Amino acid sequence: MPANIVKDEVVLKVDHLKTYFDATKGLFAKKQTVKAVDDVSFEIYKGETFGLVGESGCGKSTLGRTIVKIYEPTAGSIEINGRDIAGIKGDELKSFRKDIQYIFQDPYASLDPRMTVGEIIKEPMKIHGIYKTEEEMDARVSQLLRTVGLKPDHIRRYPHEFSGGQRQRISIARTLALDPKFIICDEPISALDVSIQAQIINLLEQIQRELDISYLFIAHDLSMVKHISHRIAVMYLGQIVELGESHEVYTNPMHPYSQALLSAVPVPDPVKGKEKERIMLQGELPSPIDPPSGCPFRTRCPYAMERCAGERPQMKMYGSRQVACFKVEEENS
Amino acid sequence: MEQNEILKVNGLTVDFATEQGTVHAVRDISFAVREGEILGVVGESGSGKSVSMYSVMGLLADNGTVTAEKIEFDGQSINASDYDGKRSYEKTMQSVRGNTMSMIFQDPMTFLNPTITIGKQLTEPILNHTKLTKGQARARAVELMTLVGIPSPETRLDQYPFEFSGGMRQRIIIAMALAMSPKLIIADEPTTALDVTIQAQVLDLIKELSKKMGSAVIMITHDLGVVASLCDRINIMYGGKIVETGTDKEIFYTPNHPYTKGLLACIKNPEENDKDLVPIPGSPPDLLKPPAGCPFVDRCESAMKICKLKMPPETVFSDTHKSACWLNDARAEKGVNAHAR
Repeated sequence: MPANIVKDEVVLKVDHLKTYFDATKGLFAKKQTVKAVDDVSFEIYKGETFGLVGESGCGKSTLGRTIVKIYEPTAGSIEINGRDIAGIKGDELKSFRKDIQYIFQDPYASLDPRMTVGEIIKEPMKIHGIYKTEEEMDARVSQLLRTVGLKPDHIRRYPHEFSGGQRQRISIARTLALDPKFIICDEPISALDVSIQAQIINLLEQIQRELDISYLFIAHDLSMVKHISHRIAVMYLGQIVELGESHEVYTNPMHPYSQALLSAVPVPDPVKGKEKERIMLQGELPSPIDPPSGCPFRTRCPYAMERCAGERPQMKMYGSRQVACFKVEEENS
Repeated sequence: MEQNEILKVNGLTVDFATEQGTVHAVRDISFAVREGEILGVVGESGSGKSVSMYSVMGLLADNGTVTAEKIEFDGQSINASDYDGKRSYEKTMQSVRGNTMSMIFQDPMTFLNPTITIGKQLTEPILNHTKLTKGQARARAVELMTLVGIPSPETRLDQYPFEFSGGMRQRIIIAMALAMSPKLIIADEPTTALDVTIQAQVLDLIKELSKKMGSAVIMITHDLGVVASLCDRINIMYGGKIVETGTDKEIFYTPNHPYTKGLLACIKNPEENDKDLVPIPGSPPDLLKPPAGCPFVDRCESAMKICKLKMPPETVFSDTHKSACWLNDARAEKGVNAHAR
């Protein structure tokens, strides 16, 4: 696991962030909103990897995309190095984008097939005008290609000449082109083969050690998230329900949803894997258009009480852990 | 054929004609599946794991050529070369597919027809393979939906695929595969498109139903966690070859082939304390020009000269455990690294 986190240096602070989408069908229909991200707060420190886990539709990618302002936040603030970027636009936003970069899931879709590797990596440099001459840029591209484990003479090749793992290396080189302080990795390994996944994870860790970059690591592969993250947050239906040190959350999940989620992870061991007790969740993920009142998880929670329907549990601290659950609250009071 | 073997495949080779040349997707593999067991087939994309099973079912695209010494299912040859002409082979396959042998596909949304109700799609295999009336077939469909845990099946039957969630759709695919109580179910990455909590439900369902009906299952997957929690035996495929085969414990606790060991070193066990990930360097071989020797040679740390030249023979460790690697051969010149140039 990568070291040197600087705890007193907050790189990203998200405060009561909300991203709602309009889902009204038809002109005169009743107004409907999808609460994709609903009141989420957390901080990421310098040099830290912050894992974000949850099932499809829980809003984890929307959260990542809102932070880089691909989506406009509905409410709340996003502070990068102490400056709120939630409301800024135009040139001001562009200068902030230099500090936050994004690695996408599918390296087959995120690289333009008609651009050479050199052109792909130079594009952000040109947009931000950080180098004056073509030679300077070429030198930087060669250096970046070496950093990500490719050869400098790959510069004139096209994406189709590379395998999935190599393409993901190219997109990592592109995100590093602007010396970002913070990278959002949105499922960066889920499109890759198992033996290649480990290569990319090790590369991301090596880059973090060398450059002190912070990552927001979004994934549904819980074992890999545990390996790479210092802290993790578990999301359910647009809300963070549990947040804590990754090892602690994995060994002792407190929120009933985290418990169910972690018990479902298949263990790569033929004896333990077959014996493992799973907490089976009843029912389906509720629609984010019409989420349950109170706690979002109460409709599937084995411990749901009357109180859970009436009000929404707030995140409370238990040691280094934050959990939003009334049952945990009662047990610890 | 040994007594309790339901499927026996010998010397299976699959080639695809493409614009770039011939892709040798599966190269001379042999395996067997016993009644009621769950066999895992593990490999990376392009290792030939899906293609070998599709060819057994006769479901390959037109540019694929299958040759085999023997493909025997339930005591009957389903090897195309044993039939005179494509038509008689197809006729047999049509009576087998969806009846005694069925398949669960990866992506439930592309498999189901979005314009036809679930009920119609689910009764189709029943009406094709039996003499039941529409009403009886519908009753059977309701029974199947209940079996796979879909609430209020009568109303659900008249709905369309888009009205179901991903997990529910996969349950319908499983219900379709089970419709005729098949002797063999081939499941091609049935949970890859699903979330972990849903994956756990679907895996438990497959396990429980195969036990209840005595069906054998071939589970094609790249997820070693899924294999460990479900399968009795495992075939490891690489570059169109089966490089190692063994029981779940043999593969996970005493792996022999360097590729199997490499795979186990680059996955994480969430229950164990942190270990470093040891990735396998490089990428899989190009099957347009498969290597003459061991397919893993370019990525293998212990590769020797002989590995590049000749395919290693199978070394037998037990009745169930076999591995194809030159390191096990006394004649090989050990310690001479082929990568040292």
